[in-house]
Amino acid sequence: MFETENIPHKTIGRIAAIVFIALAVAYGIGGSAIDYSFASDPLGPRVFPVALSVVLGVLGVLYLIRPGTSEGFPSGRLLLRVLAVPAVLVVCVALFEPAGFAISIFLLTLAVAMLFGAPLKWAVAGGIGHAILWWFVFDWLLEVYLPVGLIFG
Amino acid sequence: MNMEYLWQGFGVALTMQNLLIGLAGCFIGTLVGALPAIGPINGIALLLPIAYSMGLPPESTMILLAAIYCGAEYGGRISSILLNVPGDAGAVMTALDGYPMARQGRAGEALTLSGLASFAGGMIGATGLALFAPVLAGLAIGFGPAEYFVLMVFAFATLGSMVGSNPVKTLIGCVLGLMLATVGLDATSGAYRFTFDEPELSDGIEFVVLVIGLFSISEALLILEHQGRGVTVIRKLGRMMVRMSDVTKSTGTALRSACIGFVVGVLPGTGASVSSAIAYTTAKRISDTEGTFGKGDVRGLAAPEASNNATACGAFVPMLTLGVPGSGTTAVMLGALMLYNIQPGPMLLTERPEIVGGLVASLFVGNFLLLLLNLPLVNIFARILTVPNWLLVPGILVLSIIGVYSTHASVFSIFLMLGIGFVGWLLRKAGFDMAPIILGFVLGRVMEVNLRNALAISGGDPSILFESDISRILWGLAVLVAVFPLVLSWRARRRNVRMTAE
Repeated sequence: MFETENIPHKTIGRIAAIVFIALAVAYGIGGSAIDYSFASDPLGPRVFPVALSVVLGVLGVLYLIRPGTSEGFPSGRLLLRVLAVPAVLVVCVALFEPAGFAISIFLLTLAVAMLFGAPLKWAVAGGIGHAILWWFVFDWLLEVYLPVGLIFG
Repeated sequence: MNMEYLWQGFGVALTMQNLLIGLAGCFIGTLVGALPAIGPINGIALLLPIAYSMGLPPESTMILLAAIYCGAEYGGRISSILLNVPGDAGAVMTALDGYPMARQGRAGEALTLSGLASFAGGMIGATGLALFAPVLAGLAIGFGPAEYFVLMVFAFATLGSMVGSNPVKTLIGCVLGLMLATVGLDATSGAYRFTFDEPELSDGIEFVVLVIGLFSISEALLILEHQGRGVTVIRKLGRMMVRMSDVTKSTGTALRSACIGFVVGVLPGTGASVSSAIAYTTAKRISDTEGTFGKGDVRGLAAPEASNNATACGAFVPMLTLGVPGSGTTAVMLGALMLYNIQPGPMLLTERPEIVGGLVASLFVGNFLLLLLNLPLVNIFARILTVPNWLLVPGILVLSIIGVYSTHASVFSIFLMLGIGFVGWLLRKAGFDMAPIILGFVLGRVMEVNLRNALAISGGDPSILFESDISRILWGLAVLVAVFPLVLSWRARRRNVRMTAE
């Protein structure tokens, strides 16, 4: 059998299992180093986290032994497009307060629409529509506070 | 049995404001259920912060969220039947007989019949909830911290053995949720745990941030990835009236499936996807004498629809009476109550009867509203299925951002949500379910606090966890549900080996 994906499915499971084991170790160390000045109960704040780290470690080892199957990651251009969405989100959220709701939401909806394959013209129209619709619904109808931005503010 | 809470609840649910809120919830829920991209959890996660920041009282928020939940169970059938793509997890089985019916030109009939089955399931589920909730709450009043801790262990055991294909993955999800719940200030000792000296984390990870990140953001990435898998909408609905013979034929199946659905819903952690699968296979085993299931049999359509609606109601039983959610969606609703600083448990019914009663009563009212919405307006919902993803997904993202910002007004929370969403996507790609994480998170603090209180009572002696009859029964049940599937799969494997040997 040939693998159709770029990473074999069992490998994904194994990598995930190793990440969980590492997380269990780090969390356990972090948990056993929690500072506290007074203990009002016999268990204290450390025991529960340390117990969780042991459970996660055991489950991680079980998972490593039998990684099972998983859906697998996309490859090539599709992977890039999928990863571009969080990148766009990070940029637009960073702009959220300085540039204001309207601009950042317009850019966000425009860019994501294009990543979903919308033609530029429609994506622009969609972006303007989203910016106006959600501003109307939240700021005007529901009176939820949204940042106006330095330009308009 | 004291049913007074229910009459008081009707008083709450039938006020003009709550009726309108319920109607809006039913409409949004059907919409959310019908759209294959978003399920009930996404719908609730997106609307919860908005309801909260609008200043709705807790009972109105609960009515809104419950209406969305039940509406989504109704709406899920629309895309199952017309697109062969389930609108939400509970509607996977509906497509098996619903889509073939639609292909035979009987889409309208299938929609009406499944609407009626949903109604039957919803009403039976709501009745069961109304009767069963006071009984269970009464039993649970004697629970001390030790019993509570064991109850949580039992909840995770059921979750591990019944949800998802791989119990190890489900349990890892639960532990991740429990770990996330430990972040922040520890109230008993005053210690800051896992906050990395970040002041915004000192109150812990906000519930809304986690839920929206895990569900909405990761979902948006998955939709993009799966785009282009061709689907064809069946546009010709045909006649909407159902044949009387079909109704009588499927009544028995629907009633039985509703009961199955309710019981599965009551079990902690198991939701509509499990119950509709059990209901469908049971109906098939009992009624499929002519081999018509999977080819457009009305009973195969009624079974999962009746059951998933009953499950939605049943899932409220443990949530309202024990504080342990019966499904992923009720876990989110439990988190919603916690936003209002209300800790659900056996005392909720006596202390806040307007919340419990209002919610239960709104389920009865909501089922009528949903039937009215879903029969004549099904055409409108069917048309909404054709909204393109490039318009829909940016909307989901905008709502996610506004939702988080409206509860915290901090950009840090939004970044945290994005990070959680990205990790959620990675986890989903590795075959993890998100619901166990939410359950673990919601139960995490309660579980730890009860364990610590129990040991504080006993002065550190762990035998208190096995002392009472209730805890011993719960430990027994936990072991039973954990071992039962192992025995089943061992027997199945042995049978397979024997069959191949012959």
